[in-house]
Amino acid sequence: MTVAAEPVADTGEPVPAPAAVDTAPAAPVSRARRLAPWAVLVVGVLALQAAFASATFPARLDTTFSDPLDRLARWAQSNRRTHPLFTGFFSPLTRALTWALDSVQGLLEWLPWFVLPAAVGLLILVRTRSRGQAAVAVAVTLYPGLVGLWPETMATLALMTVSVVLCVVIGAPLGVWCAFRPGVERVVRPVLDAMQTVPAPIYFLPMLLFFGVGPVAGAFATVIYALPPMVRLTTLGIRQVPGEAVEASTMFGASGRQTLLKVRLPMALPAIMTGISQSIMMALGIVVLAALLASGGLGQVILEALRQRATGRGLAAGLAIVAVATVLDRAARAVAQTDRTRWLGRRPALIALGALVAAAVAGRLAGSVAFPGVAETTLFDPVDSGVVWVRDNLSWFTRPVNDTIVGDVYVPVRDFLTGTVAWPVLVAVPAWLAWRVKGWRLAVFTAAAVVTMGLLGWWADSIDTLTQVAAAVVLSLAVALPLGVWAGTSTRVEAVLGPVLDTLQTLPSFVYMIPVVNWFTVGIVPGMIASVLYAVVPGIRITALGIRQVPTESLEASQAFGATPAQTLLGVRIPLAAPTIMAAVNQVIMMVLAMVIIAGLVGGGALGFQVINAVTRGEVGDGFEVGAIIALMAMVLDRLTQGIGQRLQPPSDR
Amino acid sequence: MSTDVAGSGAGVPLAVDGLWKVFGPRPDRALTLAADGATRAEIQAATGCTIGVRDVSFTVAPGETFVVMGLSGSGKSTLVRCVARLTDVTRGRVTLDGQDLTAMGDADLRRIRRRTMSMVFQHFGLFPHRRVIDNVAYGLEVQGVAKADRQARAAEVIEVVGLGGWAQHYPQQLSGGMQQRVGLARALAVDPKVLFFDEPFSALDPLIRRDMQDELLRLQRAMPRTIVFITHDFAEAIKLGDRIAIMKDGAFDQVGTATELITNPATDYVREFTEDIPKAKVLTAAALMTPMAPGAEVPHDPTGAGPGGARTVAAGAAVETFLPVLLDGADTLTVVDADGRAVGVLARTDVARALG
Repeated sequence: MTVAAEPVADTGEPVPAPAAVDTAPAAPVSRARRLAPWAVLVVGVLALQAAFASATFPARLDTTFSDPLDRLARWAQSNRRTHPLFTGFFSPLTRALTWALDSVQGLLEWLPWFVLPAAVGLLILVRTRSRGQAAVAVAVTLYPGLVGLWPETMATLALMTVSVVLCVVIGAPLGVWCAFRPGVERVVRPVLDAMQTVPAPIYFLPMLLFFGVGPVAGAFATVIYALPPMVRLTTLGIRQVPGEAVEASTMFGASGRQTLLKVRLPMALPAIMTGISQSIMMALGIVVLAALLASGGLGQVILEALRQRATGRGLAAGLAIVAVATVLDRAARAVAQTDRTRWLGRRPALIALGALVAAAVAGRLAGSVAFPGVAETTLFDPVDSGVVWVRDNLSWFTRPVNDTIVGDVYVPVRDFLTGTVAWPVLVAVPAWLAWRVKGWRLAVFTAAAVVTMGLLGWWADSIDTLTQVAAAVVLSLAVALPLGVWAGTSTRVEAVLGPVLDTLQTLPSFVYMIPVVNWFTVGIVPGMIASVLYAVVPGIRITALGIRQVPTESLEASQAFGATPAQTLLGVRIPLAAPTIMAAVNQVIMMVLAMVIIAGLVGGGALGFQVINAVTRGEVGDGFEVGAIIALMAMVLDRLTQGIGQRLQPPSDR
Repeated sequence: MSTDVAGSGAGVPLAVDGLWKVFGPRPDRALTLAADGATRAEIQAATGCTIGVRDVSFTVAPGETFVVMGLSGSGKSTLVRCVARLTDVTRGRVTLDGQDLTAMGDADLRRIRRRTMSMVFQHFGLFPHRRVIDNVAYGLEVQGVAKADRQARAAEVIEVVGLGGWAQHYPQQLSGGMQQRVGLARALAVDPKVLFFDEPFSALDPLIRRDMQDELLRLQRAMPRTIVFITHDFAEAIKLGDRIAIMKDGAFDQVGTATELITNPATDYVREFTEDIPKAKVLTAAALMTPMAPGAEVPHDPTGAGPGGARTVAAGAAVETFLPVLLDGADTLTVVDADGRAVGVLARTDVARALG
């Protein structure tokens, strides 16, 4: 950064050199050193503001990228049936996946409704002998039918099954490969990092381009989103196999393949299973969004509920998605259960299988295929009434909240940043922060990222989105940090918060957007509130974890010196937990960013609106640009907060 | 225990010749420096390489137990991994029954491993996802032995190591000592000619450790195999080893029988280990006696009752067993072999010097 570097020379002077200081001779120097960067910042900001006060951002590359991309999209559209790239690669891939999705869904729909719950229950019973678990699984599998969402659930189950199977088929070998070849891992790891930091809707555009609208694009987007934990945990699991076990296998003359199949993979299985579970959770998070790509199923139901502000139906469908994820997870765990002492044995398993097939055939013959209508979503009508009651009776509260957030905070800040502050200042300040936190590399990257926002012609929207992100982050932290510290020091508080956090975490975030939209009308506020609800969960969890992880000995030492609980908290607990708390801040920021983008669906405007618009209308050029900007934002924010976290580590841990 | 379970082969000779193992980026340069007499630290500073094993040579006779004793970082684990070819050798040769292991390709090495060698590990190296019987049968499974046959063989070996009744359990359900019995059974199941032990008992409690040492001695008496045994415990070394090598900084300080090491330590380092050893338990009459030519005249001892009136002591008897006789006033003892023939003379002063 040339601008900031210049004033360094003259800042040395204004700092008084107190020769009178009689302590260590290094003191005056270190003080000047300490103040210099701040002086650079202040002088730099003032100089830039004076020089560029009225300059608007020169959007020099406004159409440089978007036009060719739009042309590419149009080309893809018109050549999808003819060009070898499509006929030879993407189309066969699409057909194969369509076939897989249709077969799974077809099978699920062909089966009489009671076969699936029975199969899930029997599988768990045969593999784990646990009647309780089997009963819970049966109940969970029945739930979507009870609320009248059986066909939609079967569509989502098919999508998730195919996606998760693909995740395993791609992720497990890739993870094994990474474990054996550090070179491969060096290439794969940054890609996985990017896949996890970038908000999901960004993947949708390339999927649309390659596969067109439909369930296949949704499945691929889900696979991309859910792949990283699968790969990471497989690599981890393979690496964690004790060297002696591998050596023992080698000493018996096992070939590399034998050792992999008989020793390494089975011993890595628990880690791989955790990977599958996490992939399922990730997939659960994205199936709703995948409905934007017309993948149908429960996601479609939730999007419609959002449009119609039907909270009850949205909640019913959200819970059905959770049910699908739970059933898949339990079934996968039962299949991977290798402790044969807990198996029921081969004979009962075969009898159960026979009974299932017989029941399926009998069910088909008897014509009882569709789930008998029992309660439908009317079960959730009270929820709707409750939401409406709040809307009608608490407007004295919601209206001022809305107006304060929008009128007194969001609009003034946004206008100040986009109107009053000169754009180079907004480049220089984050770059300065990056430089202080992690050095010049990140500073250059940060500056380049911010400049890119303007050059591509999205300056105002980017600043708008960042303002929303900042506001939601501040709100989330104001809630999450105190609650996290409280939960970390009190088991009772944690026990009370636990179920609330679990619910918030597992329900697709759209579900709680619906009542918020009801109360605050469309605009930035519902998006922000949904972001806060979504982001406080990891914020509280990780902060509590950090506070709890402080070694008991340190706390006892503090108490032994007669410190009050407050002194221990502020002087020992929080400083020792600081790196973990910073990890919580990092998670909060990343989740808020992801949600603020999704909030484009409910009037959040700015970049979120652009992304959703691009995905739903196929405006590929703009979508790619905005996607790139959001990805850059995510990467900069991620590295900045991680950098701060590293600086908070005690020196020995660095 | 039937001999057929213990195995058919009686061990094969193992020879290690000029073995070097260098870890790091420039092994050739490190070898050159080492040849010029540079120390480990100097080589580390100059090349970034660590010398794991430094010019080690030894032979192990068929049926012999050769113990390598060293402290952590001495390179003993690296040595056994080189000999077993679990890691590549930088320079030198390992010859097993006349076959050069160091020059062997992967396929040949696998063939040798399946038929002739096995290893027992410090932390057992068991497979937690397999039952005891499937752990023990692993070597046979890898060879492609049919399931019924390998399970039958594994069950026999499980009996031999005293784990009858535990075959269907998982390793985690067993105590540490029992887990290592599984490790031992697994190694024995393939009827190896050579066994490598990498500190197999150091993770066990002292009492269990003694049981396992006795178990190993019992198995070795019933069916001697060629054994390379790594340990950091000098007492274990002299209990188990026919010959012992003391290893330090990647090289052997001294190789010899327990008696040779105790009575004649080559370096101060070796002497330090021998100091804490209860010598009266370890040393035998044969080790301390002055041998006599066959038919030589037996010195007369008026108090004695042996041949020629002298008091006698068996050649293999530990010092502690005849110490009371010496303290009782006998100046010399006649050492006799198993047939009662006199083979040497033991003076009280010899014993006093050796124990001092």
